[in-house]
Amino acid sequence: MRNRTSTVIKMHLKDRMSWFFIPWVFVLSFAFAVNYTISFFLDEDLYTGGLASIIIYTNVVGFMTLHQTFPFALGYSIRRTDYFLGTAATVAGFSAISALLLALLSVIESRWIVNWGTGLHFFHLPYLSDGTVLQRFFIFFIVLLHMYFLGFVLSSVHRRFRMTGILAVFIAFLLLSGIFSFVMLKYNLWIDLWSWLAGHTAFQLSLWLVPLVVLYAALSYWLLRRSAA
Amino acid sequence: MTAVVEVSRLTKSYRDVTAVDDVSFAIEAGKIYGLLGRNGAGKTTLMQMITAQAFPTIGELRVFGESPFENNRVLSRICFIKESQKYPDNYRVADVLDLCSDLFPNWDRDFADRLVEAFRLPPKRQMRKLSRGMLSSVGIVAGLASRAPLTIFDEPYLGLDAASRSLFYELLVEDYAEHPRTVILSTHLIDEVSRILEHVIVINDGRVLIDEETDSLRNRAFTVSGATADVEAFAKGKTVLHRETLGGLASAIVVGNPGADDRQLARSLRLELDNVPLQQLIVHLTSRKSYGKEAKA
Repeated sequence: MRNRTSTVIKMHLKDRMSWFFIPWVFVLSFAFAVNYTISFFLDEDLYTGGLASIIIYTNVVGFMTLHQTFPFALGYSIRRTDYFLGTAATVAGFSAISALLLALLSVIESRWIVNWGTGLHFFHLPYLSDGTVLQRFFIFFIVLLHMYFLGFVLSSVHRRFRMTGILAVFIAFLLLSGIFSFVMLKYNLWIDLWSWLAGHTAFQLSLWLVPLVVLYAALSYWLLRRSAA
Repeated sequence: MTAVVEVSRLTKSYRDVTAVDDVSFAIEAGKIYGLLGRNGAGKTTLMQMITAQAFPTIGELRVFGESPFENNRVLSRICFIKESQKYPDNYRVADVLDLCSDLFPNWDRDFADRLVEAFRLPPKRQMRKLSRGMLSSVGIVAGLASRAPLTIFDEPYLGLDAASRSLFYELLVEDYAEHPRTVILSTHLIDEVSRILEHVIVINDGRVLIDEETDSLRNRAFTVSGATADVEAFAKGKTVLHRETLGGLASAIVVGNPGADDRQLARSLRLELDNVPLQQLIVHLTSRKSYGKEAKA
């Protein structure tokens, strides 16, 4: 019997539009082109958050994947486990390749074609790009992976529990963040938190996304095993 | 006989509906089954449970002797084509069929290509831009070329014209003869499929009403027609499923198989005895049951 996890990877990659053309050709290139044009007319340097475009897009893909492919996969005799593993592998691959390109572009921007000749800071940003190239790669990688699985776990909740589930998650989030803010305020901990954050590099902070990704992945697998097509 | 599917006391309830209600039956290998019933009778839910896409509330389910849930040994032998199947937005016809060759071990690429031509499908067109009939045709091509040991078609021909439907039946019977497998055909177009079905399972309101070989089902009733008074005389003391009168003529569907004395009587009264078309038979057998149920309630 053929490995059906790899069939799921193939299933995803057949959609080159969602995994390649939209994020790289449309979203990121467009964001870059706009910022590049603006930087051309500015006298001072332009620091831009244009990178957020591909990060937000990855989050959207995370939301959309299940809706697009889960009923199709199950309908065509694919196991939920294979669907999950194949999807996770696809996303890991997408995040790794994207992160590699982004890290490479940050090197180009900082060393080879310095700020693209127009003073544009797009891929190489203060604080975010402070670490080594390898650390930059890891930050991009884990941020993309995290954004994807955040969307994926929420749409898994929707798949299993429909709107009720999403509402429950939303209410729980509001409650918890409310309690958190209250405690932080009451015991004057905000300042401590900010100084703690400021005391760590972007790379150190990005490590905290690892357990989150693991949590989202485990949760979505658990939910998918219990979801109908 | 080896059972491909064994269902025992299977029930699926949603919050306020029982879609499948205490259903038991077995599907034997190497036959074409008809799973018949009106829309909303529970056919799709039943098949979704057989293919592990929906979860039974209670009951036992074995497919190829094992539980189908998360089981590749079972799932790789099933091809389930349903009317409501969704496809990824950016997929083309060719993408679906290419993936099928990975998913179904018996996939026949040449056969698939021939089917694509026979149903005049544009391989490069995106799935979401296909007409309803073309979308159905993609399912039919996948279902036939998969040659899966258990192939299930659930209302596979929405939007298909009569010519394409008969092409489907023809190809199914032809390919089935060369590559025997178990086929479940779920439909409400009973007349069209009646000649290719070997076994019929009728579902109504989530329950199995009929589970019988097509031939023996055909012998369950017959029509008698002639002058109204004579038909009434003939039908006296017999169970009548349905009566129709037109002017002085009448016809009745009578339960049972006409015996020698029935034939004698019919001849003397100049009545004609005939087979009941499967569709009519099922309609009357099921409507009587549901009528009885309402009366009880």
